[in-house]
Amino acid sequence: MDHSGFVILACVLSWLTQSAIASFQSVPELEASMYKTVDGSACVRLLTLSGEIGCANPDRDKVLAPILRLRSASDTIDQISSVLLPFSELNAFLMRTLNEAAINAKVAGVLVESSSAVGASFPSSLSDDEKFPEAQFAPYQNTSHVWNPPGSGIINKRFNFPVYLLSDESTRIVQEAALGNQRRNFNYPMNVAEFDLVMQTTKVGTSTSEACLSASSCLPLGGYSVWSSLPPISSSSSKEIVLVITSMDSASIFRDTTLGADSPLSGLVALLASLDALANISSPENWNRQLVVAVFTGEAWGYLGSRQFLNQLSSGGSSVQGLDQSRIYQILEVGSVAQAMDNVFYAHFQNEGSAATVEILEALQVAATSLNSASAEVLVNNASDTNPGIPPSSLMPFVHANKSMSGVILTEFNSVYMNKYYHSSMDISGQINTSTIAVAASLVARTLYILASGQSNITSSVADLLTVNESLIEQLVSCLLTCNPGMSCDLVSGFITPSQTCPNHYVGVFTGDPSESPITENIDDTARFIWNFLANRTALTINGTDTGAIMDCSTGCSDSDQVCVGSTVEHKGVCVHSTTRYVPAYSTRLHYTASGWQTLPPSSTDVLGNVDPVYTESYWRVLGVRIFMKESSAFDTWILIMGMAITVVSFMTILSMKSAFKKRLKHA
Amino acid sequence: MALAAGIGYTLLALGPAFALFVSVIAAKPLLVLFVLTSALIWLVSLIILSAFWRAFLPIGSSWLLVLLLVTCVSFQELIRPVFWFSYKKLEGLLNALAQRMSKPELKYYETMQIALAGGLGHGIAHAVFFCLSLLTPSFGKATFYVDSCKQMPLFLVAAMLSLSFLIIHTFSMIVAFNGYDDGKRSLVVFAPAMHFAAAFLSLVNLFQGGCMVGVPLVLVCAVGVICYCGKIVWAKVGDQDTAISMSNRANILS
Repeated sequence: MDHSGFVILACVLSWLTQSAIASFQSVPELEASMYKTVDGSACVRLLTLSGEIGCANPDRDKVLAPILRLRSASDTIDQISSVLLPFSELNAFLMRTLNEAAINAKVAGVLVESSSAVGASFPSSLSDDEKFPEAQFAPYQNTSHVWNPPGSGIINKRFNFPVYLLSDESTRIVQEAALGNQRRNFNYPMNVAEFDLVMQTTKVGTSTSEACLSASSCLPLGGYSVWSSLPPISSSSSKEIVLVITSMDSASIFRDTTLGADSPLSGLVALLASLDALANISSPENWNRQLVVAVFTGEAWGYLGSRQFLNQLSSGGSSVQGLDQSRIYQILEVGSVAQAMDNVFYAHFQNEGSAATVEILEALQVAATSLNSASAEVLVNNASDTNPGIPPSSLMPFVHANKSMSGVILTEFNSVYMNKYYHSSMDISGQINTSTIAVAASLVARTLYILASGQSNITSSVADLLTVNESLIEQLVSCLLTCNPGMSCDLVSGFITPSQTCPNHYVGVFTGDPSESPITENIDDTARFIWNFLANRTALTINGTDTGAIMDCSTGCSDSDQVCVGSTVEHKGVCVHSTTRYVPAYSTRLHYTASGWQTLPPSSTDVLGNVDPVYTESYWRVLGVRIFMKESSAFDTWILIMGMAITVVSFMTILSMKSAFKKRLKHA
Repeated sequence: MALAAGIGYTLLALGPAFALFVSVIAAKPLLVLFVLTSALIWLVSLIILSAFWRAFLPIGSSWLLVLLLVTCVSFQELIRPVFWFSYKKLEGLLNALAQRMSKPELKYYETMQIALAGGLGHGIAHAVFFCLSLLTPSFGKATFYVDSCKQMPLFLVAAMLSLSFLIIHTFSMIVAFNGYDDGKRSLVVFAPAMHFAAAFLSLVNLFQGGCMVGVPLVLVCAVGVICYCGKIVWAKVGDQDTAISMSNRANILS
């Protein structure tokens, strides 16, 4: 070869190898890059007494289909696809699959773009729950009132395919994959999505709660509610009880992205902050009434916490020892408060004729007036009398238990929810106002002070103590409603070691035996934090000093009146005098036995149990989706045929060559 | 079903090797030994080369890539005469043993079978080193396309290149043995020349879409090697065995 040939070759080589060399260090690395695991939150299979709801793989196998990006819920689908949808179109698309069988047949699975992804359009309103959530539990007949106008009701619908909400990063990956398919005009090789959301109940064939509980292929929804008392209950106490309640769980179709920032967590934050303020008042043992705080869980799934609480009270359960249902004089519920317009709150009341209810309403007015300042006027209006009754709330089971129960619910809304994203993955911290929560918290603190202490007004010295500081609210919001810092924040990590940083408020399933004292692993982070916070704030102090002692009390405190607060992996706890307990939260239609959960028959004494769907969640092994490029099966078959053909042709050629050479050898 | 594809690619790369092994090699234990030994030797040569070049990974510049190809091919081609020389020593021993046992010495076609075994070992070593583990992911559901080759999956390219090189190595060893035995320069140069040619032609695959040209070109090299080898051996078989006694057909190898 002459020199010019070499030069040309060299130039060509230097040009072509600019970017062409892929850099994988090993074959496992290549294989790992072929499959992209996406992360996000799945919609899982839940069951009720009458059937299944939620989403899952239709049978035991993984589901695989090419990715098709739709811009709107009404776009056409030509062949079986994994549909990629914007979040704002999801509910409409899911309803379409329920109404049009042709579309349902073409949907192998649904991938939902993150609502905070780049370029995502924000739906103006979205709600997975019904227009009248949990209507069957209302203590009145008129259930046609629309509390939740955006309600689509998809949370109670059954879908025969997996649905997966993608994280921001994964949204980008799947969008690229869909774009690749579009560029190739949906010819193979195509990018496919493989869904692995196989549910145990599907594998075993149990399709109702009763069947799956007996087959142990599911677990009932539930958790642990927390109640505490200020001051700690002494056995001789016979005071009337002012019960203030709220809930700590929300719902949406995506189990892992259920923050419920406004509904109901803003109420919880307001209540915790008001307790923090009330704890500043000295000598609560001199108050006229006993103040008891209860934070329920499972309220979004059939008022599990409040119903079980009442059940425990009436059957004298050990978790509610010291409480007497007959001594509950009045109830104040703190509902969603963060979106109150111009500090205008609404009081929904039950049994307006009773003195106890009137007392609460008047206390609210006194508290609101005391909060008025030059800059802001705080108003508490009575809810409109065109409302059919109290809104969906934890108060409903209390009313069913005692028709003459006096109760008031403090909320941000009058006849229609202010929360445009009620019970959806979009009810996040961005839409709540911490100063509004602070106002609500001060309102609640002062109202409770008036009710419990018997004082009729707020003196200026008390007013200073009962003004909630906004920084505590901000801390609580950043801990309970954001991932950064999330549950690793100082406030929370001072009390518990959280199991995960990103908070989530789906009630989850009830693990373990409800009759036994709960172990840490079976209680979720939020409940454990609330328990510790309340125990810490309601602890008895003598002359302003703690009566506790720092010790390793993870196994319990020696004194039965004491509880162990703040025992974490990093530091020891403190034994304090406080009445703070966990109460199991699960359906009153279920009974735990040694052989598992049993469904009890309907009974005349448990009216709400008869309308309870008894939600359970199926066991599942993994909840995963991965994206990769796939050839058509025809191509794979052709490769096999080609390989076999080459082998066969080689054999034949070699044999014929052998005989040819043998002949030649003979002749030669 | 991606299992089908995985099996297909493996057959594509190793089917002819398998066919050769079963039809020609397997019947004679000594040939099997030769294949195994040869494969081992060539694998060791590749491992030595990779151990040296590992220090220079990743190959960023094109010059380094060319240098890598040149050094690797040269190293292997330098081993080839050593390989032949060691074989010659062994052949001497085998022939001496044959004489003592009053059996005939190695004939030409038997020598060519040994050359085939040696070449097959080389080809299998290449396939194992460059292709076999790369095909493992092809048994799964996913496929993989390199940016510069949108037309063919990586596994298909790898299998076809491996098939080509297997053929090239197997049959150029026969040509080389003929060349060394007869001292013919054109035959001696043939093996290194085809090895270099195929190696540099495979660089065409690095172009955008180059695999549609590069892979067929390397296959053409392979076909060229078979044809040339066939021509050489066909001619020699015609000449040589007239001199050898036709009565003595007892094969010391069987």
